[in-house]
Amino acid sequence: MLHYHRMVVIFWLAVVLPGAAAAAENICFDCHDKGSFSGNIVHQPLADGQCKACHNPHVAHFKGLLEKEGADLCYACHGKEKEKFKEGLVHQPVRGGKCLACHEPHASANSGLLKSNLDKICFSCHDKLPQKYGHTHSPFAKGQCFACHRPHQAAYGQLLKDEPDKICQSCHKPQDLQQGHADYPGQLRNCLSCHNPHGSERKGIVRNVLHAPYAKGCKDCHDQKGTQGNTQSCLRCHEKVATEMHARHSHLTGKGGNKCVDCHSPHAADEKNLLKGSQVEVCRACHRDTMARYADKLYKHPEAKAGTCTSCHEVHGSNRVAMLRGDGNAICTQCHETQGKFTHPVGEKILDARTGQMVTCISCHLPMGSDFKNELIYSGSKDLCVQCHKRY
Amino acid sequence: MKFVNKILGLAALLTVANFIGVSTSYAADPWAWRATLEGTSSGQAMSMPTALYVDVERQRYYVIDSGGNRLLSFSREGGFLHTFTAEGKLQIPYDMVRDEKDLLWVIEKGRNSLTSVDVKSKEITLHTLKEGDRTLVPDRMDYKNGQFYILDKASGEIAVIDGNLSVNKWISCPECVSGIVDFKLTNDGRLWALDQLGKKVVQFDSGGALTKSFAVGLQVEFPVSLAIGPADNAYVLDRHKGNIAVFDAQGEFKYAFLGKGWSRGELYYPIEILFDPWGGLCVVEEGSGRVEIFGR
Repeated sequence: MLHYHRMVVIFWLAVVLPGAAAAAENICFDCHDKGSFSGNIVHQPLADGQCKACHNPHVAHFKGLLEKEGADLCYACHGKEKEKFKEGLVHQPVRGGKCLACHEPHASANSGLLKSNLDKICFSCHDKLPQKYGHTHSPFAKGQCFACHRPHQAAYGQLLKDEPDKICQSCHKPQDLQQGHADYPGQLRNCLSCHNPHGSERKGIVRNVLHAPYAKGCKDCHDQKGTQGNTQSCLRCHEKVATEMHARHSHLTGKGGNKCVDCHSPHAADEKNLLKGSQVEVCRACHRDTMARYADKLYKHPEAKAGTCTSCHEVHGSNRVAMLRGDGNAICTQCHETQGKFTHPVGEKILDARTGQMVTCISCHLPMGSDFKNELIYSGSKDLCVQCHKRY
Repeated sequence: MKFVNKILGLAALLTVANFIGVSTSYAADPWAWRATLEGTSSGQAMSMPTALYVDVERQRYYVIDSGGNRLLSFSREGGFLHTFTAEGKLQIPYDMVRDEKDLLWVIEKGRNSLTSVDVKSKEITLHTLKEGDRTLVPDRMDYKNGQFYILDKASGEIAVIDGNLSVNKWISCPECVSGIVDFKLTNDGRLWALDQLGKKVVQFDSGGALTKSFAVGLQVEFPVSLAIGPADNAYVLDRHKGNIAVFDAQGEFKYAFLGKGWSRGELYYPIEILFDPWGGLCVVEEGSGRVEIFGR
């Protein structure tokens, strides 16, 4: 008899309790307008009435009575993504745990709970990118960023889905491409060397600035088989660069016969230095770890934040450590004139007690990024000073 | 009694757990600072030294003080001996060796030359290395059995060059992402090299054929130099982390030691690592203008 009653109670609890819980969640909507949480796509916990999956109804450490902060909250359910989003190049909002930069937490009219149309979301951060060109690539014009890019992470630069040529050929058939490039020497490849995948003012979305020899034809740099010229073939014209390369450190590095084309397009580009992308994109192609190390630092020098690496670093060759444009004082005082005159003693006569080397601005500051105010290497309250002033 | 048994059981459990923990952790760093080669004894601190050459026969260290355009010699114990400036003629010296005829061969970046220096006659001769119409850009070098091994920065390949300065052979790494950035020869004729962007250690046999490679990328950010220790352990110097990662002959990571900084035992923009014949692990620090020597 006792056994029978126990079974009934268990059955009753199994049936009634989940409903009771859902009913309890619905209490939330007694105050919070349910209409504000509706849309074509509703986040599954909300659709199930599980507000408590994210919120604590009584008290919480985080704004919105959230149980956790930022991506930690999302990853509590989306655990697989957490691991995946650590691989390769990671989109900055993802790296910063800012899922809500692109996604709505409750409901949205757009798939993937996106905040708005894809192009609007992308342009909200990538605001320097022209939205329209004289000749605009069709997917770009339609706001189909995901035709080429991945939103969270990717193994390829610029968060591309695949190698650039393969992406192009996923829409453009090889025979069509061959017809359009009848005079191309050798096998067609490296589409982005001539074309801007978003658009340009030239027909065929050929990039706006042409390398002078390319504008004339191919023969200045390629032989009849289409083989490209080596580094020296570039330096024969660019003599100043050749001189700059004869330095203690140079970017005359890497594999292959032509080092110049690692950074420059020999054909066409979007700006006069014929760089293959923005400065930071070009530098990141090799210095990915460096960029990643400083990406999330609390304090960053404005130039580092803006990605204008050449404000401080030489690009071809330098006799300085880290290929700096000058010594650790000269380079900073270009902009920080006051600090150059009134500061902790620096210069040739002031030697670092630890190494005997000249004390410079970068003896104490780390302009690339630091977790300490003023981009200091250590905390400015004490830890920094006692590095040299042991008795302080 | 039950209580005592429980405590004993718990203690046994902790001991086992502790043992498992220790046995799965990485080996400890066995290296300790032994000496520092610095320029202050010469009256001037070194400025951006880029290489160390160990003269086994004379039991001397030669430091290439690249920013000071001079070579400094030190005793085996680390005491400063001499400064050689070649009467101010050196232009950004970068690496050097000494041959059996007592000539110093210095790579000068400023003149893109493999410069021979006869110290006794004070004769300095510039040599621009060429193969056909290709001009080499010497970067790192070694010398063995009458042949120069020169890393050509322009191609990322190693040229094997005879006494007449003719290229006999090229050693290249087809599977490397970037060109070779540093190499070391071992006594049995093998050549070990480092692929900087590919973050890979590669090994060639005495004929120049690629025989082994392994990745170091999980532990290393910006590899700049390597040294091969006893039992073929590879020591990879990380310029940006300021540390040294050690891998066994199979490429398994063993441990890393040292760290970024300016104090003794810390590294700031290190540029070269090598073993001396006396068991010392020498690290040339371009950023701190010194060579630190570590021993077990």
